[in-house]
Amino acid sequence: MADEDDGKEYRWETGYEKTWEAIKEDDDGLLEGAVADIIQRAKRKRQSERHGGARLGMMRHLYIVLDCSEAMSNQDLKPTRLRCSIKLLEDFIDEFFDQNPISQLGLIITRNKRAEKLSELAGNPKKHIKELKGLHLTALTGEPSIQNSLELALKSLKLLPSHASREILVLMGSLTTCDPGDINTTIEILKSEGVRCSVIGLAAELHICKRLATATGGDHGVVLDDKHFKEQLSIHVDPPAAATRLDSALVKMGFPHHALHSTTETPMTMCMCHVESSEEDSKLVTTGYLCPQCLSKHCELPVECRACGLTLVSAPHLARSYHHLFPVENYKEVTYEGSPSICYGCRRVLTQLDKKVYMCGKCQQGFCLDCEIFIHETLHTCPGCATNPDTFQISSEKISIN
Amino acid sequence: MANGVEKSLLVIVLDTNPVQKFVRQDTRILTQCLDSVIVFANAHLMQKSNNQLAVMACHSHSSTFLYPDEKPMEVRQIDGQYEGFMMVERTVRQNLQKLIHEIVTNKPLNTESLIGGALAMALCYIVRLEREKAAGEKIHSRILVVTGSNDSASQYMNYMNVFFTAQKLGVVIDVCSLDQELGLLQQGCDITGGNYLKIPQLAGLLQYLLWVFLPDPKVRSKLVLPPPVKVDYRAACFCHRELVDIGYVCSVCLSIFCKFSPICTTCHTVFKMPGPMPTKIKKKKKNPDIVH
Amino acid sequence: MSNTISGKNLLRPTGLQCKDLHEYLKTRPPETLNKLYHNPPICLAVFRELPEIARHYVMRLLFVEQPVPQAVIASWCSKLHTDEHQKVVKILNELNIWKEASIPGGLPGWILNSTLKKNLKIVLLGGGKPWTMSNQLETDNKPRDVAFLDTYALERWECVLHYMVGSQQQEGISADAVRILLHAGLMKRDEEDGSPVITQAGFQFLLLDTASQVWYFILQYLDTIEARGLDLVVCLTFLFQLNFSTLGKDYSTEGMSEGLLTFLQHLREFGLVYQRKRKAGRFYPTRLALNIATGQNKPLSSDLEKEGYIVVETNYRVYAYTNSNLQVALLGLFCEMLYRFPNLVVSILTRDSVRQALKSGITAEQIVGYLHQHAHPKMIALGPPTLPPTIVDQIKLWENERNRFIFSEGVLYSQFLSQTDFEVLRDHALTTQVLIWQSERKRTMVVTKAGHDDVKKFWKRYSKGSS
Repeated sequence: MADEDDGKEYRWETGYEKTWEAIKEDDDGLLEGAVADIIQRAKRKRQSERHGGARLGMMRHLYIVLDCSEAMSNQDLKPTRLRCSIKLLEDFIDEFFDQNPISQLGLIITRNKRAEKLSELAGNPKKHIKELKGLHLTALTGEPSIQNSLELALKSLKLLPSHASREILVLMGSLTTCDPGDINTTIEILKSEGVRCSVIGLAAELHICKRLATATGGDHGVVLDDKHFKEQLSIHVDPPAAATRLDSALVKMGFPHHALHSTTETPMTMCMCHVESSEEDSKLVTTGYLCPQCLSKHCELPVECRACGLTLVSAPHLARSYHHLFPVENYKEVTYEGSPSICYGCRRVLTQLDKKVYMCGKCQQGFCLDCEIFIHETLHTCPGCATNPDTFQISSEKISIN
Repeated sequence: MANGVEKSLLVIVLDTNPVQKFVRQDTRILTQCLDSVIVFANAHLMQKSNNQLAVMACHSHSSTFLYPDEKPMEVRQIDGQYEGFMMVERTVRQNLQKLIHEIVTNKPLNTESLIGGALAMALCYIVRLEREKAAGEKIHSRILVVTGSNDSASQYMNYMNVFFTAQKLGVVIDVCSLDQELGLLQQGCDITGGNYLKIPQLAGLLQYLLWVFLPDPKVRSKLVLPPPVKVDYRAACFCHRELVDIGYVCSVCLSIFCKFSPICTTCHTVFKMPGPMPTKIKKKKKNPDIVH
Repeated sequence: MSNTISGKNLLRPTGLQCKDLHEYLKTRPPETLNKLYHNPPICLAVFRELPEIARHYVMRLLFVEQPVPQAVIASWCSKLHTDEHQKVVKILNELNIWKEASIPGGLPGWILNSTLKKNLKIVLLGGGKPWTMSNQLETDNKPRDVAFLDTYALERWECVLHYMVGSQQQEGISADAVRILLHAGLMKRDEEDGSPVITQAGFQFLLLDTASQVWYFILQYLDTIEARGLDLVVCLTFLFQLNFSTLGKDYSTEGMSEGLLTFLQHLREFGLVYQRKRKAGRFYPTRLALNIATGQNKPLSSDLEKEGYIVVETNYRVYAYTNSNLQVALLGLFCEMLYRFPNLVVSILTRDSVRQALKSGITAEQIVGYLHQHAHPKMIALGPPTLPPTIVDQIKLWENERNRFIFSEGVLYSQFLSQTDFEVLRDHALTTQVLIWQSERKRTMVVTKAGHDDVKKFWKRYSKGSS
């Protein structure tokens, strides 16, 4: 899907095209119908291929490697490559945790032929974003080293249990890399460990990056401008179909209570997350979440218990990921012939300008194009099915995993 | 901003399931509730001339919009009531009547009101208005659920999808429970920043509605309203539907189980037994070979 | 030794006062207010004009029969917003919406005005008598749709505006309308030939948005209403009934009094209602009449205006996609016209053109407001900010340029006999912060009028002590 968009950012980049031929007058010599058709096709294209029930890596562990070499001070992305990347990454991190709530993310920067870990794998977006913001003033020097960064990421990814999906995303601004050894062996190890590596090039396609990506099953893309950069990043928000060799396991998790219970009795205590940092937000509070295993207190979820290592989540955190597993089935596209008279979702009166309506295979309700897109991209619940006593429950039988 | 026309849209989802406990005790109560909700709806319209309203009925077998109708009704004043308010009242009553006539011929009644689906429809409607608004216009939308049914875990997924979508769209979900504490919908209020109220007695429904749910979310901070209640975010396990403190989560489908089982009942994945992983040690041995 | 300097802000233009409904009603005597509250439509209009918190107070009290302690009502508002609570209390008192009543325990309490309460309930719940214009009607065999009414209303209204700018127009306006314009001070008789010409206020009026224009005009009209032998309360009631009517629906004139029918004819002339014939027996309200009271908040006014047509670029060019002479003339008030095409006018904002406008009494605020009001949808879609900030700032700077004098009334002290005398008095004035200006060399100082007495007393004491 990404390849299809590549290079079509501007009309003049698509080469000679008889654009006027795409528009045809209807019998009355009007253009409305044809234009509506074109708009509809464009909307529809975005979500043409959707795969239901594929096995996804829910507990994602992603390292982002950010190039901080001299090449990042280039101003082809405004204001500079680094600033642009930081800005887009901030949005990316928020979006990432929104879509993958029980996943973890870490940041690595590379410059001066070295790799430094900016933040460890963790599930809290705020911390990463804080670190990222601090990068604004960092000195951009020397050359990057892909191998060193990959090795550094691998060191912590390797320790993860086998059921977790492991990924590395490299944002590469430089056209060179300075590596201590043979990067091919590193790629081999990554491949055998099942680490999926993707690269987004800010300058041009590099052979070694392309190889890294193809060998480990990741994506490789080169950005055209900041808009395209954002698109390239957003590809990595959705969980990738997990590599087949992932083991599945039952993971022990804690669902802590909100410690508000006895308002008179609760003593003021420090939360575990802030007990070590001498920062401004380490205060004594009565509220917080208590780990059900060791009763240590944490101020927000999800978090890994500092004391006993239990993963603490709240039920809605898990639920937020369910829609990947139970996607709404694609609707049938039907040429509009006067029925139904209104869209079942938004109650809009359908007219002849709506060339197509979309029927849900389960509840047989018709939807307009806009609702169809909204339901599949955002809502993930078919209003027709959800208001029908026979179909409202998402049955587990129909999910075919593996 | 001089140009920003701000609108406030209220979507009321009214549970009209006749099998609700309090309705079965006394059928007249449903009429009383309906009266209160209509007055409340009109009170919302009364606040500002550009306030908008939608009323939905939610049943065990379907959900439908009572107001606005696709074709606005022709009404003329018969008394001093404002024409617009009268139209709301007439339309709601007429459409509800239609709906109730449909029930009788239908399948056996179910106790479960499909509120999740009604909320999904409401969101579709809100998104449509958002899409159709003029440039520079702003619509603040919220949804009020008035229900006496129980919220069962069978709609869990629908609820959660709706709540997170509402959160993303900035739609506030308020819940007014007429009968019992509703754990799931309460979570929805907490996620979207809405108010939750289980009213102590049905007789004062209108006052409770006007008091707690009439103010726009923007003004709520200025008025003293009941404090947020503690929300129980514990998960219910998929096997026994019991709330658990520590559970086991399937890494593939995130189903929650209260104790370890070798096969996931949701996605049929076979799990490895927990414990130290021997493979890891082997890998560690391999590592020194690639160090340069 | 001291002389009073009288300074008046002669250069400062007097802003056009467009009162909102609240301000208008505030100036009415309580008896009139009470008479007005007997009419449900007015109650509804007043209610909607209240600040948001006040509306919630009224809603909460609507179904309470006894007075409620003031302390209880104060506790409804969060501690952080007590100032807003005070404001709301003041407004509710001013409009006579609630009154003080003591509660059996002796605590001071408030109780809603019973007339208002009764009629608000009628509006909300029904009951009472139907409004005058809602008699049953047979269906109109030639019903008018919304689009027709909109064009009609705008056409009629622009007629008035055209007359004001004096642009060539086939249709004049009635002598009655001219009289209102003269009364409102929007136009005045020319000193030589007695023909009406536009005034400073008139220019400012033209730059308002249509809804505000209508409201302002109606207010002026209402001022003269009693002189015409019409009853203010009846007319206001009718006006607000129109306000809450439905667009595109016909209403009956049956049962209306003679005075009201005259009033209707006036409204017809300005395009607030449409009537096919004088004696048609039915009329259609237009968008101008709807939401009339909300002139300042202008909720639906954007629907009324035709699509915005002005594009302002950062190079001070103003493109207006219009062929209306009126709109071009209005733009010409503060822009220099460059080219005119069949559907497009190109003009440029210059220092001279804007100063010209400022001189005729238009404020920078109004110019910016006008540009903002009529901004092209493309500009709105790009915004905010809708207008380029540089342009907005520059227009304001041009205005400030003219306001280099600050006038403050004061008292001049001069002819001091010694430098020490002067210094003592000056220092005193300085410490009490009443000094406006001083010159050591000329031994002259000016203090504010308010501080004059104090300084005078001090001087008397001082001179007595030293002599």
